[in-house]
Amino acid sequence: MISYLAELGKLHFSPEEMKQMAKDMTSIIAIMDTVKEIDITYDAEADNKNVYLNDLREDINAPSFPTEKILKNAVNDESCFVVPKVVE
Amino acid sequence: MGIREQRDMLDRHEISTKELTECYLERIEKFDPKLQSYITVTKEKALQDAEKAQKKIDAGIASPLCGIPIAIKDNICTDGIRTTCASKMLEDFIPPYNATVIEKLEMQNAVMLGKTSMDEFAMGGSTQTSAFAKTKNPFGVDCVPGGSSGGSAACVSASLATAALGSDTGGSIRQPAAFCGVTGLKPTYSRVSRYGLVAFASSLDQIGPIAKSPYDCALILNAIAGYDPHDGTVSKKPVEDYTAKIGKDIKGLKIGLPSEFFGEGIDDSIRNAVMNAAKTYEKMGATLVSCNMPSLKYAVAAYYLIACAEASSNLSRYDGIKYGHRSKIGENFNELICNSRSEGFGPEVKRRILLGNYALSSGYYDAYYGKALALRQKIAAEYASIFKDCDVMLTPTTPTVAYHIHENISDPVKMYQADICTVTANIAALPSISTPCGYDKNGLPIGMSLTSRQFDEATILQVADAFSQQFTLKSPSLSL
Repeated sequence: MISYLAELGKLHFSPEEMKQMAKDMTSIIAIMDTVKEIDITYDAEADNKNVYLNDLREDINAPSFPTEKILKNAVNDESCFVVPKVVE
Repeated sequence: MGIREQRDMLDRHEISTKELTECYLERIEKFDPKLQSYITVTKEKALQDAEKAQKKIDAGIASPLCGIPIAIKDNICTDGIRTTCASKMLEDFIPPYNATVIEKLEMQNAVMLGKTSMDEFAMGGSTQTSAFAKTKNPFGVDCVPGGSSGGSAACVSASLATAALGSDTGGSIRQPAAFCGVTGLKPTYSRVSRYGLVAFASSLDQIGPIAKSPYDCALILNAIAGYDPHDGTVSKKPVEDYTAKIGKDIKGLKIGLPSEFFGEGIDDSIRNAVMNAAKTYEKMGATLVSCNMPSLKYAVAAYYLIACAEASSNLSRYDGIKYGHRSKIGENFNELICNSRSEGFGPEVKRRILLGNYALSSGYYDAYYGKALALRQKIAAEYASIFKDCDVMLTPTTPTVAYHIHENISDPVKMYQADICTVTANIAALPSISTPCGYDKNGLPIGMSLTSRQFDEATILQVADAFSQQFTLKSPSLSL
């Protein structure tokens, strides 16, 4: 189970880390299991009654962030992010 | 000294903004190597800010926060200034923009002293998961300052800043404020823009002030609250003057005391201090009302399921490509992402990503995440019922005072359960303030929380201030 959750989260663990994580998760999930005791259902309608999709702001033209400023935090080349080869 | 006193001194030209800023920078240099409340001290910017502020004061057009030295939690983006979230993942991240709250503080010519330490990605209650500065409690350096805004609370408590900004997802402003003997306010969800706040759990996160008094918190909320076109969740409700009710009589006010918050697991010293505060309010003419929140026993589980589900999604953006830590190892795209994330995140962040994935994964969604959302509605309904009969609710902020460093750190369950008194205000999107109400036998601070209806920050600020006026606040005695 932990390795499946790790895969979903794009994380990997050493065997020792995996052992510790399994121990921690077992005790954490025991606490989370308390929510199963109570018999209630989520009412999505009630949560969405204050959502007004016709109240969105106008689209206004504005300058975007300067490319150099954005790329400063990344490995970049010729104004592009550099990634490992994706297509063989 | 708080904002009000400093404002008077600056406006009367008894001190210049440069002198005030330098005084704080000297204190940071002297005491912070031991306290470790800051990750980055922005000395040059602080002095530039001070110079700009002085010009406004000299021109007689000073805003309430003009020239006031303020510290910023390191998960709030600052243009051109490193914002690490106390994580190796963002060790070298320089935001290309300011968070809206930073823009608003700059409009008032506040002076930014630096970026404060916190639990990694705001996940924790001790500031001991910080990758860079494991902050100590100014009232006892062997104790934690609380968290996740532990750096902000500790630096205000130790007078290494006049006030600070923190963020609160499940108690991260109020709990460290309680542990460090200062006041911290979590505003109503949507009262303050989250634009530029590094996201943890977007339906719960809220930025708020930490300061020496409720009045100072009100002044900062006046500055940072309000509509922002960059944040689709922020309220359009007009910003009122949050100092307006401060100093007014609380006679006739109804204060709810929910029994579940005073039961098993709450230290006697805390229970007694909060009940004494309740009696003080009664003497001031308030009425104490018994009330109940039956779902409190499920609150920690519901909170962690919702928060971690949102965190696992929010943190999926850290891939080492566009910004953040990038592993040197990785033959292909997937390997690079996995290695970057595994090297960049600490154990607590990884635990929460796994828990979030668990709660959201096929076959478990309804039993965990769906149930947590239902509980969120139930807790909000229980609050609504309490506020039919009460104006504010009074509770302890924490079950214990600040604990010894390393005491609970290796036990995540114990750490999570310690959030019991604070998470419901986030779950129900309500404003809540923690203010000091006592000290235990070892001199460690005790905090009490006042919670009110949505957008009624003015009332909890008024009620917190009423108590603070007759409470003798202690300052920590710092040694090198």
